Amino acid sequence: MNYDLFGLELNVWVDALIRVLLIVGFMTVSVMGLIYIERKILARFQRRLGPTRTGPMGLLQSLADALKLIGKEDLRPKSADPWTFEFAPYVVFIPVFLGFVIVPFLFGWQVRVIELGLLYFVATSSVNIVGWVMAGWGSDNRYAMIGGMRAAAQGISYELPLVLALLAVAMIASSLNLQEIVSAQGRVPFVVWQPLAFFIFFVAALAEMNRPPFDIPIGESEVVGGPFVEYSGFRWSVFFLAEYAALFILSAIGAAVFLGGWAWPLGEELGRGWQLILMSAKTGMLIFLVFWVRASVPRLRIDQLMGYSWKVLLPLALAQVLVNGAVLVYDWPKQVLLVTGVMGLLALFWVTERAVRQPRTRPAMTIAQSEAAS
Amino acid sequence: MRGIAKSMLTTLSAFTRRPVTREYPERHRPIPERDRAFPILLWDQGIDEPFCTGCHACERACPVECMTVLMKDNPRHTSQGGNSSRRKIIDKFWIDYGRCMRCNICVEVCNFDAIAMNNTWQGHELSVYDRSDLVMDLPQLLSQHRQGNLKEWVAE
Amino acid sequence: MVTPRALEHEFETQDLMINMGPQHPSTHGVFRMVLTIDGEVVRDVVPYVGYMHRGAEKLCETMDYRQGIGYMDRTEYLANFNAELSYVMAVEKLLDIDVPERAQWIRMILCELNRISSHFMFTGAFGTDVGVFGTAFTYSFIQREIVQDLFEEITGDRLMYAYFRPGGLAWEVTDNFVARVHEVLADMRQGVIDIDGLLTHNEIFVARTKGVGYISGQDAIDYGMSGPALRASGVDLDIRKAEPYLYYDQIDFDVPLGEHGDVYDRFVLRVEEIRQSIRIVEQCIERLQPGPIQPERMPRMLRTPPGEVYIRTEAPRGEYGIYLVSKGGNRPYRLKIRSACLSNLQALKHMTVGQYVADAVIVLGSIDIVLCEVDR
Ligand code: SF4
Ligand code: SF4
Repeated sequence: MNYDLFGLELNVWVDALIRVLLIVGFMTVSVMGLIYIERKILARFQRRLGPTRTGPMGLLQSLADALKLIGKEDLRPKSADPWTFEFAPYVVFIPVFLGFVIVPFLFGWQVRVIELGLLYFVATSSVNIVGWVMAGWGSDNRYAMIGGMRAAAQGISYELPLVLALLAVAMIASSLNLQEIVSAQGRVPFVVWQPLAFFIFFVAALAEMNRPPFDIPIGESEVVGGPFVEYSGFRWSVFFLAEYAALFILSAIGAAVFLGGWAWPLGEELGRGWQLILMSAKTGMLIFLVFWVRASVPRLRIDQLMGYSWKVLLPLALAQVLVNGAVLVYDWPKQVLLVTGVMGLLALFWVTERAVRQPRTRPAMTIAQSEAAS
Repeated sequence: MRGIAKSMLTTLSAFTRRPVTREYPERHRPIPERDRAFPILLWDQGIDEPFCTGCHACERACPVECMTVLMKDNPRHTSQGGNSSRRKIIDKFWIDYGRCMRCNICVEVCNFDAIAMNNTWQGHELSVYDRSDLVMDLPQLLSQHRQGNLKEWVAE
Repeated sequence: MVTPRALEHEFETQDLMINMGPQHPSTHGVFRMVLTIDGEVVRDVVPYVGYMHRGAEKLCETMDYRQGIGYMDRTEYLANFNAELSYVMAVEKLLDIDVPERAQWIRMILCELNRISSHFMFTGAFGTDVGVFGTAFTYSFIQREIVQDLFEEITGDRLMYAYFRPGGLAWEVTDNFVARVHEVLADMRQGVIDIDGLLTHNEIFVARTKGVGYISGQDAIDYGMSGPALRASGVDLDIRKAEPYLYYDQIDFDVPLGEHGDVYDRFVLRVEEIRQSIRIVEQCIERLQPGPIQPERMPRMLRTPPGEVYIRTEAPRGEYGIYLVSKGGNRPYRLKIRSACLSNLQALKHMTVGQYVADAVIVLGSIDIVLCEVDR
């Protein structure tokens, strides 16, 4: 069986190898770029300069960091569980890496065009929770264990709204193939028809990536890095790589599914170069939004995080799926989707505000009570 | 959600403002002339000898006892055929910068205006690898004013 | 929060003890607390203090009154002027000397500016505790930096000012003092807007802080709390109003009070206090007249008559008191610092037990402790 790679006829294995190598190189470079850009942007939000020393405008800072991390000693606590501890970073990293397979970079070009692309992505991306728990458990550190447990709870809770939001879009596009989803959008991207699903996707994606305001597992001011606490050197950098690769992949998928991927809203067929620019611009917008949110919001507490997922996001996502189903079955006009989506979004905002404005009814437990309890 | 929107607008407005940090070793902040780094001894440029007579006043007043002063007869006193009016002069002087708490008391008690707080960047950038390198002896204490790179400021 | 099920012992779970500090990013210095947690809920807190103990009180007993000023700076390194003020006022009371008017006004301006910078330190550190990645911290520190620049121009040092002396001030302020203070105040107003916009109304921030770390007014009094932490529980006790020192009785300002006694109130109250301090400084600047800054005749070496005094002032963190016993001579016989932070810290257990681990961190942050002052 031969595959077509940029017009070259290649053996399937050679083809796969080339694609994987391309992706690995691309990912490493893009992650280093992302880290540099994040530090610069965050610095501007905080009125700082950011990295300036290494290379022109600090451009080589990420490279220097990477070299430093690789050169560092790989420490393992004596009491840690060796296998769990050593393999955890890879269990976190590989599922994320697998996600690259279905990122639709250009029209007709992704590592593999998979018919059930979205399903594949959803299935692989949730495996890394196991890695987090392994890291937390294997480190034999109480902060790490709390962090690992938090990661598990959070990852599982937010997987559901994420999947349902993607499912809602897949219903409208009537496909799970990302290429077809992008093509189905045509001139009007799905964010217009599915604003609620987009919002839920964005929030859930933030939680999946453990970005603020959902960086509860690694919350520096509470559990000091959570599962990473005992890691150093190369293994730690693998976690880091996974975090930023996930950021890139989720933003790219968000851009493809909701923002129309490589399509230009006004024009027609575009060449490969333009497609790449558009795709990068849309992904970049989402990534900037993630950084912006990071600079602006505090961290949620674990019970609020779970409550928000199960009590707010999940019911609304289900409602969205229901509405989409009705629209498909009864052939209602598309405008219904827009109206219901905006209404859902307003309901979401209203629920959020109401939750905050609740009267303060939770008095602290007295010491006598707690002694009685323990 | 409105609150979060407000937060994000606040950060966005900061994004457009100028950064406030400085690239420190390359670019120094101008420091005011009252700045107190560490005490140094002053040099009487007219007669070409230190102002300090070794009177021990500062040594006694220092709260952390980081100074050591030794006095000697001035070989350049007029009675010895020199041109100086100081009968006694400083022989040896050490200040342990590692202990000094920069309280300015030595400057206030000195009757001869012989000691002052360094108000240049040189007085701040004193990182060393060994604590004993922070014990300054007389030539080190005198050198900076002798070369004339000290901003004048005398507390009234 | 305690679920009813856990209370009824249907499931026996094992409590976990975690050790927070002394090297933990959010214990504000070298403070250590051992938390006993059940899942994410704190069951018990045992605070350990004393890592920073340097015996400042005892050291001051071996020094004359001027030398002690430097040590006062180091007990309370975020509100040095307030600490110095308590000390020099105690000495002045023993000596029974009158301080010139100009010196008093300048002391007031500097103390209030110091309160502003100290509260900005709180907003920054608290923002980090709540989880804003560095943004609140940098915004606050920009403001602190501006105030410190002014202090450096006047006193020569950024942190350890050693500027107040028994009887007045060490030296005159700079010529452009008034103009500079106005500049600084303009920046402070912008800084309050920034911090306010970033945190006060943010839903996540509100959700995290409202109803957390509750303490009632009566309990707060019982624990000996003071300052903003006490006023957040609705107790109207501000020493600037209750026992006016300096010229606070001639100045028009409000004392903000909280209603709920939770973390959110403590934060909002401090932001409001920054605004009030700006008001106070504005009024002080208007009344500043040229004049001497030291009494006519001051002895070179201060010798106090035998006696004892207790002076308390309203420092940013609460009541900062100096108890000074003299048996004559040029050094105190006994010096005791009544530290606001140490007393406020007593209520930590009361406020933390029953809350989440993440809340333990912000409750500690909301007390706004300075470990140097706790341990002295
Ligand atoms: S510096 Fe001044 S006080 Fe100290 S020994 Fe010299 S002359 Fe005396
Ligand atoms: S500044 Fe103070 S501590 Fe330093 S040498 Fe002078 S008197 Fe001693």
